[in-house]
Amino acid sequence: MNWRVLIIGALIVIPLVVVLALGFGRDPRALPNMMEGQPAPAFAQEVMDQGTQIALADLRGRPVVLNFYASWCVPCAQEHPWLVKTAPGYQQRGVVFLGVLYQDEPAKGKGFLRRYGEAYPTLLDPTGRMAIDYGVAGVPETYIIDGQGTIVKKFTGPVVPDEFVATLEALL
Amino acid sequence: MISLLGRAAILVALAACVVGAIAGIWGGVTRSAEAARWSRWMAWAFFAAVAAATGLMEYALLTHDFSVHYVTEVGSRSSPTWVSIVSLWSSLEGSILFWAFVLGVYAAGQAWWTRSRYPEHSAYAMGMTLLVGVFFCYLVAGVANPFTLVDPAPADGPGPNPLLQNHILMVIHPPALYLGYVGMTVPFAMGAAALLAGRITPSWSRALRNAMLVPWGFLTAGIILGGWWSYDVLGWGGYWAWDPVENASLLPWLTSTAFVHSAMLMERKDQLKGWTLTLLMASFLLTILGTFMTRSGVFNSVHSFTQTPIGPVFLAFLALCLVFSVVLLAARIDKLTPPQEGLSGPASRDTAFLAQNLVFAALTFTVLLGTVWPLLNEAMSGEQISVGEPYFNKWGVPLGFLIVFLMGVGPALPWGRASGSAVVQRFLVPLGVAAVVVGGSLAFGLRQPWPIAVFAMSGFALVVSLQEMAAPGLARWRGKGGSLVGAMLEGTLRTRRRQAGYVVHLGVILVAIGVAASSGWRHVHELTLVEGQTGQAGRYTLTYLGHELEREAHRTASVARFHVAVDDRELGVLSPRMNNYEAMGRPLPSPDVRSVPAEDLYLSLVQVDPKSGTVSVQAVIQPMVWWIWVGGLVMAVGTVLAAWPSRPGASRKAGAPTGAPAGAEGAA
Repeated sequence: MNWRVLIIGALIVIPLVVVLALGFGRDPRALPNMMEGQPAPAFAQEVMDQGTQIALADLRGRPVVLNFYASWCVPCAQEHPWLVKTAPGYQQRGVVFLGVLYQDEPAKGKGFLRRYGEAYPTLLDPTGRMAIDYGVAGVPETYIIDGQGTIVKKFTGPVVPDEFVATLEALL
Repeated sequence: MISLLGRAAILVALAACVVGAIAGIWGGVTRSAEAARWSRWMAWAFFAAVAAATGLMEYALLTHDFSVHYVTEVGSRSSPTWVSIVSLWSSLEGSILFWAFVLGVYAAGQAWWTRSRYPEHSAYAMGMTLLVGVFFCYLVAGVANPFTLVDPAPADGPGPNPLLQNHILMVIHPPALYLGYVGMTVPFAMGAAALLAGRITPSWSRALRNAMLVPWGFLTAGIILGGWWSYDVLGWGGYWAWDPVENASLLPWLTSTAFVHSAMLMERKDQLKGWTLTLLMASFLLTILGTFMTRSGVFNSVHSFTQTPIGPVFLAFLALCLVFSVVLLAARIDKLTPPQEGLSGPASRDTAFLAQNLVFAALTFTVLLGTVWPLLNEAMSGEQISVGEPYFNKWGVPLGFLIVFLMGVGPALPWGRASGSAVVQRFLVPLGVAAVVVGGSLAFGLRQPWPIAVFAMSGFALVVSLQEMAAPGLARWRGKGGSLVGAMLEGTLRTRRRQAGYVVHLGVILVAIGVAASSGWRHVHELTLVEGQTGQAGRYTLTYLGHELEREAHRTASVARFHVAVDDRELGVLSPRMNNYEAMGRPLPSPDVRSVPAEDLYLSLVQVDPKSGTVSVQAVIQPMVWWIWVGGLVMAVGTVLAAWPSRPGASRKAGAPTGAPAGAEGAA
């Protein structure tokens, strides 16, 4: 028996099997509701191209829409024009729209906005900390937060227009 | 009726596998020729029974027999005939039946191939293959039984997943991938046989490599076809997205490619036996992991089917295989490996092989880590993250570049110890070509470092490959005289496996060039046009001619037509479509592509708005995508040439009379 081979093999095999087994506990599609009803994690992020910061705490009292996106993400490009078209009407009524650039370079994010339209500021998340706080599993993901700072709705994948509008209308 | 017959056929197949596995392993332990013969007969029986079951299922699908459970899941009276046929592998239970069928084909092939050869190992190997067969027959007979009776039978069914019936490539991409995945069972069984027997003979190690070439070729074809399918169907203009399931097919490809190379070192120099067998076992284990990823629903991916009871059973099988392989390797590896002499010099082909193996191992590890990291992270911190394309590109691009680099440098180095000046001399011409490529790219106005580096390395590797391919013929001509053409032809034909290896390398070079160019200079334009309006996408002028609604039995489609021109040259009409399947809520874009060697123009509909009469279309312009598909074809041709069975003894005579110390199996 070659113990070195056995030990190295065990070190690779055991964690792999354990991790895969733990994966069974969840349904990858059932996640959206986990964050709903939870207080939104605080953030204070730099705004792309402006050098200023926006913090969640400063937005108290106003509904917030957070849209995580990336230039390398195809569904993001598909939903983005609709968000750009929809945002101005709600911004007039006091809703704050914010994009969050996820695992991407600012230059590419700017290119994305040039191509698909820009209606609201984008926050940078260079360390990925904000995405982890929000439990972002992939992009796009969109969170709707009410004036008290509670997440009332989470969309995994592109937003569903009807539900999106209904959620915001209920908050206003 | 079919339901009953199908279940009976599967039970016969299961019984044949059980008996054959016991007989094979018994035959290996006792060296009983009688037991070995029994295991071969059982392999035939397994093949016959599982082929019957598959035939019955096809019959049920074609006759829309909705009393069969699987047909109620994927069948539909409105599906065209070809969709009904391929429905066999469009959903979970059917694809596992198909898996068992392919395994039956391989088992029968293995039984025939080893019927009068390799007495020391063939019984063990047959037994191991059938042992894997036991598991898959058990799946089909039990948790994933597609033949369950449905009573009363419904009148019609939903048809297969629209994404899968959207394109004709669905007919060949999954079978190619399955032939690759399932075929890994045979070399795995043969490697396990070498460990069980505690000995590896030169003829067995050559057999191992040949057994790997077949599934390797299918896996390569499956991966390239998968890229093509995703490019032609998914509508985002890309061919590779680092999706967990794409990664799952890449992982065994990486280890098996490494194996094909290190097996040459094993065959030629009796070195690296433990490492080579580890790669062999890993290739099989990664195919099982890949299937687990596809089928269990643990990973979120376009390919994932739903959450199923098969997951836990599959995981248990995977765990069992992993433990078995590790224990077997640990127990027997010292028996196989005699004390080794060290590798030759730093600048030798041996070292290049070793470096190549390390790069492939590193790439495998990188991709595996990136693929399971989201799960790992969630297990540790409870948080969900996603490892996106940036991670894979960050690590994959340099490692991929290293592979092209080694593919150029390795074959230019001689086996064994080399003198410095000889090495420099061999590098002069290829290096010159690489320099010309860099200069040309810069003069052409190209500035992206990675793609230019890949071009240069590809030029280098191309020259080396062509030199190596010509070497046997040239040596013959110099030695014997006569006509140059005749000598070249003779030299080439006599070194078929070596030539085949370099043909595969040429294919890889074409793919590398295509990937570097298309990802380095990809441009995306989005246009919104009303009928008759003209817009500009790069140098292309697009005129929107209007759209029609097309009705077919199983779908409706909005087909938009665009007139395409460059400057004043007309290039014709492209018709991207938006397909609507009743079973699916959202429309599926179906792009239209103008593909020429220089550049692809790829149009994909984003939105058709009948109210305002506008259409939004995404135009993706990527250079040299075409080269990827052609490169894949060249690789396939090379693999067929390499794996083609030779006349007994012919391969030994083929030692090339060249000046270079490279023999018949100089490359692959």
